[in-house]
Amino acid sequence: MSAQPAIATSGLSKDYGSGRGLFGLDLEVEQGEVFGFLGPNGAGKSTTIRLLLDLIKPTSGSARVLGLDTANQSLAIRRRVGFLPGDLALYPKLTGRAVLDYLGQLRGRVDRRLRDSLAERFDADLDRPVRQLSTGNRQKLGLIQAFMHEPELLILDEPIAGLDPLVQQSFHALLGEVSAQGRTVFLSSHTLSEVERVTHRLAILRRGRLVVVDSLENLRKIAIQRIEIEFSEPVDANEFRALPGVTKAHAEGRTVTVGFEGSADAVVKTAAAHQVRAIRPREDDLEDIFLRYYRERPE
Amino acid sequence: MSWPTTKLTLRLRLPATISAAVGLIAVMAAVGALFPTVGHTIGKINVPKGVSNLLGGGDYGTITGWFRSEIGAIYGPLVIGALAITGATATTAGEEEDRILALVLAHPIRGSRLIAAKAAAIAAVVLIIAFATWTGLLVGVALGGGGITIANMAALAVQLAFFGFATGAVAIALGAGTGRRSLATGVAAAVAIVGWLINSFAPLVGALTWLKYLSPYYYYAGRDPLTRGVDVAGVIVLGVVSLLLTALGVVTIERRDLRA
Repeated sequence: MSAQPAIATSGLSKDYGSGRGLFGLDLEVEQGEVFGFLGPNGAGKSTTIRLLLDLIKPTSGSARVLGLDTANQSLAIRRRVGFLPGDLALYPKLTGRAVLDYLGQLRGRVDRRLRDSLAERFDADLDRPVRQLSTGNRQKLGLIQAFMHEPELLILDEPIAGLDPLVQQSFHALLGEVSAQGRTVFLSSHTLSEVERVTHRLAILRRGRLVVVDSLENLRKIAIQRIEIEFSEPVDANEFRALPGVTKAHAEGRTVTVGFEGSADAVVKTAAAHQVRAIRPREDDLEDIFLRYYRERPE
Repeated sequence: MSWPTTKLTLRLRLPATISAAVGLIAVMAAVGALFPTVGHTIGKINVPKGVSNLLGGGDYGTITGWFRSEIGAIYGPLVIGALAITGATATTAGEEEDRILALVLAHPIRGSRLIAAKAAAIAAVVLIIAFATWTGLLVGVALGGGGITIANMAALAVQLAFFGFATGAVAIALGAGTGRRSLATGVAAAVAIVGWLINSFAPLVGALTWLKYLSPYYYYAGRDPLTRGVDVAGVIVLGVVSLLLTALGVVTIERRDLRA
């Protein structure tokens, strides 16, 4: 880890009125980190990214990226950053190759071999016009342009949107390599599942305000876990509601879904009194983490 | 300036530009070919002054008046204005509304350089159309039996180019300055059309004659380039206005938020 953060914001705000925007963001992302930036739609994630890239000006506060001031040194920042927007749009009439050529020329120095190897890795079609490509194939072009100049910092907004599982796997492997090389990844998403496999730490943003910054491990400790238990016969959910740690339980047909904190021991032992056909873990829901966190530390 | 941006913008505008240029030459050839047959007959029709002014105030009975009315007054500025305005708007506000500009500006290029490069491409589009106009005039006038000097035909093309620069620059200023496609298109088109109406009707009302000086149309065709050659003062006015408006777009994009 370097002493100088890859991203540092101080009271960064962008007020769009009516409570929309970003308010007083204080955030530090260390170099070499894969940092998840989570929040529901409209939480202020894209606004933060646009501020970091100086595409919009802050109402107040400041930000430094790779040690450089976003207000005065944005050009130097953009030279060292790779960016994938959440609402990626490319020139529809041009082929993927022409788009990448142009964006590479704007950077001045892009190794075509690296670009082509990324295209091969993502199985991207560079010879068809963008308008003929599916969302996933356009997203591949977005990823290639973000990675092709080997940036020190990658700012990726909803990067796996539309990608098939195989390409997602390639993408996650690439993130691992990038991180191993000491480069930084700032990964914005509204779904926990998109970032949990790769992030070291994550921040949760809600209604323009930072709710928490912590490691995934620590966040999971306060998260509500949920399991689905399928029985041979219908079982009364009340049997589980009274158990220690259980926050909610409901039955639907022969399946009972139980939400609980801490150990699953009591839940499993109670279930074992019946004939169990299957136990399925449910993904921790981002909203559950929000709710749990709000209960402990209300705004 | 960013040469890759100029090249790309020109590449994206070229199909429409080439089509318009070919169409322009074909129409002018047809207009020229019609003159020997119908020009003298139409020339005898007594047209009200207001209508005559709308059509460039030309005498249909002469080849100069014929081309001034058919091409100089309406078709030429319509084609060059439409291409300049749609091109300038599409490459600035259009790309911003389509969310392409946010990705491009995340690259190491200043907004000002980007807009200047795009303006240069639109200027090239205008020059292609102006050259096509000159070519079309050469063909059309030859088919019409001659009677306009090559230099004066070039003068109309030059005046037309500066008219195209000015209308395109209005769209650049508003497109880059606001990021709103409909606003940029609407205002630039209004400037061209209202300018045409003002230039045609203001001279008919003594107290409003001065209004013609506000019209880009006056500086384009007010001194009849097909007869008198290049109007240097008109070209300078249109050139300066074009540069100032382009500079406005170049400066404002740096100072405002990119639209979401």
